Amino acid sequence: MPAHTLQATDLTLTGISHRYANTQAVADVNLQVRPGELIALLGPSGCGKTTLLRIVAGLIRQSAGHVVIGGQIVDTLPTHERGAGIVFQNYALFPHMTVAANIGYGLRAAGVAKPQVAEMVTRMLALVKLAAMAERYPRQLSGGQQQRVALARTLAVSPKVLLLDEPFGALDKNLRLDMQIEVKRLQRELGITTVMVTHDQEEALSMADRIAVMNQGCVEQYGTPEEVYDAPETLFVAGFVGTTNLLPGTLASVAPAGPTVALAGGGTMVLPRARPCSSAGPVVLALRPEHLRFAAPDEPGLDATLQLSLPLGALTVHELALASGAPVKVITPRNGEGVRPMPGDKVRLALTDGAAPAVFRGS
Amino acid sequence: MSASASPLRQWQLMLPLALFFTVFVLLPLLLLGYISLHNDMELKQAGVAQYFKFFGDEFNLGVLGQTLWLAARTMLLALLLGYPLAYFFTLAPPRWQRVLILIIVLPLLTSAVVRTFAWVVILGRQGIVNSVLLSLAWIESPAKLLYTSSAVTVALAQIEMPLMVLPIINSLSRQDPHLREASLALGAGRWRTLLLVTLPLSLPGLLAGSLLVFAAAASAFVTQTLVGGGQLMYMPYYIYQQAIQSNNYPFAATIAMVLLVAVLVIVTLVNFAGRAVKGVAHA
Repeated sequence: MPAHTLQATDLTLTGISHRYANTQAVADVNLQVRPGELIALLGPSGCGKTTLLRIVAGLIRQSAGHVVIGGQIVDTLPTHERGAGIVFQNYALFPHMTVAANIGYGLRAAGVAKPQVAEMVTRMLALVKLAAMAERYPRQLSGGQQQRVALARTLAVSPKVLLLDEPFGALDKNLRLDMQIEVKRLQRELGITTVMVTHDQEEALSMADRIAVMNQGCVEQYGTPEEVYDAPETLFVAGFVGTTNLLPGTLASVAPAGPTVALAGGGTMVLPRARPCSSAGPVVLALRPEHLRFAAPDEPGLDATLQLSLPLGALTVHELALASGAPVKVITPRNGEGVRPMPGDKVRLALTDGAAPAVFRGS
Repeated sequence: MSASASPLRQWQLMLPLALFFTVFVLLPLLLLGYISLHNDMELKQAGVAQYFKFFGDEFNLGVLGQTLWLAARTMLLALLLGYPLAYFFTLAPPRWQRVLILIIVLPLLTSAVVRTFAWVVILGRQGIVNSVLLSLAWIESPAKLLYTSSAVTVALAQIEMPLMVLPIINSLSRQDPHLREASLALGAGRWRTLLLVTLPLSLPGLLAGSLLVFAAAASAFVTQTLVGGGQLMYMPYYIYQQAIQSNNYPFAATIAMVLLVAVLVIVTLVNFAGRAVKGVAHA
């Protein structure tokens, strides 16, 4: 049962740019978040994702561009009038107030009468399953509990947009998974538009409806987890999301079998399609470990020497080296048929069925 | 590392400072107390007559009261002016902070006498304030600003301001900036955030600064005397007068001990009260 009905709001960022002294923290970002959607801003440290989040929250006034929440341009609105709830990595619970006082803080600030505040606090505590902790102080709670209080506190004021800044960074691995599921469940139940900042791609891939992969202030790709993983649009995205073997070569698009890449390390690959770069010339081929398999010597592919095979549950990870010395990772199902090479063997690697590696313009 | 080079034990490290403290603080205080416990000026007869003499006279109690009241007023004024200054400092960009900290610490870098004389010049009959008021025709003849208890309060508050501002800045700087941001994001305006979040959590610094100013103001001999003039009598000058002018060392020592204990008691009580509140306001 939803705690309260929210009119789901959309969030639009148009042409957002922000400059600090000499650095361009955010460069011309355009994003549209649909009502009730959970998107992730994913990227390495310093890519501008946190800056962007803080711009949406109103904690930073951007150098250029507009933030539009629910159709309203909020650039001139201070943080406390925007209706953007934010949860920080360290939760920022008020240490001098009880859990109940923390959760009721926003409501009291809005002038809601005490009995109603108490009722809402009880409901929020039930929502995050912390009913027994009402009179405790934040320092008496565990990390996971503190995060749930932080969430309850933010959701209590029915924000139009929920902003999460690396929310699971401070939790240990097992707790992290539980909390990710919890947050996703809450977000779905309440239908609240959410923007989550993370540098953990697994987190982004599993939780988000869409991911904006950021690098040096720019959004390199904005799409569903599948799109970002299977069809990366830039070299950076291909390299950052998941594991990828980036192999330089030359593309000859006009060939009877289909786009063919002659690899610099030797060997050729025939691809089902050449995307995003389809013009002939120097390219970089992005092959995911699961795109490759061990093949017979007469199949088109590339030659490599097997160095190491590591069994990992249902999969085996192979580390190989090309003739040039460049490393290549291949993942095969452990009980699959076909060749089973030993370390030191020379093997031929070919594409698996249905694999569609990305091709990027090279130098 | 040879066997004989063992790390210094904690008490060995404390030794130099403890020695300094004993010789230059503890012993003089004990000496003071010893002197005060004599009934006559020649220090031949031991007794507590001096203390009876002090507490038995209304004048003496008045001086004590005036001193403590001055210290309290100074503390409040310094707090009223110092907290906003400290708060403003923490919100300023780093470039401005470098300039501001210099301005804040400046009083500590100049001698108390120089600073006090500056106030004498400012508040004198021909001083800046009077000149401005006269030229604006707000008054017809120079007002008596100097040699009033208000003048002493204002001058002391300015001179002791760094003692108030620095602990508050320290307390505010250590606060998690996300706390303020979280409060704003929850819909609380800037004033509400200041009153309900920032201020309570800066209480330790506030308390420390207040007590430092209180203690400093109570014993600020130079300023009290120069800005207060001959007609306002505070404990420090009373001590001086009894010791140097009247040669009555036992009585002077008694006054000193009474001032010391009075300030200590007040500081301790406020500290206890503060700790009780701090128990809630602690991170």
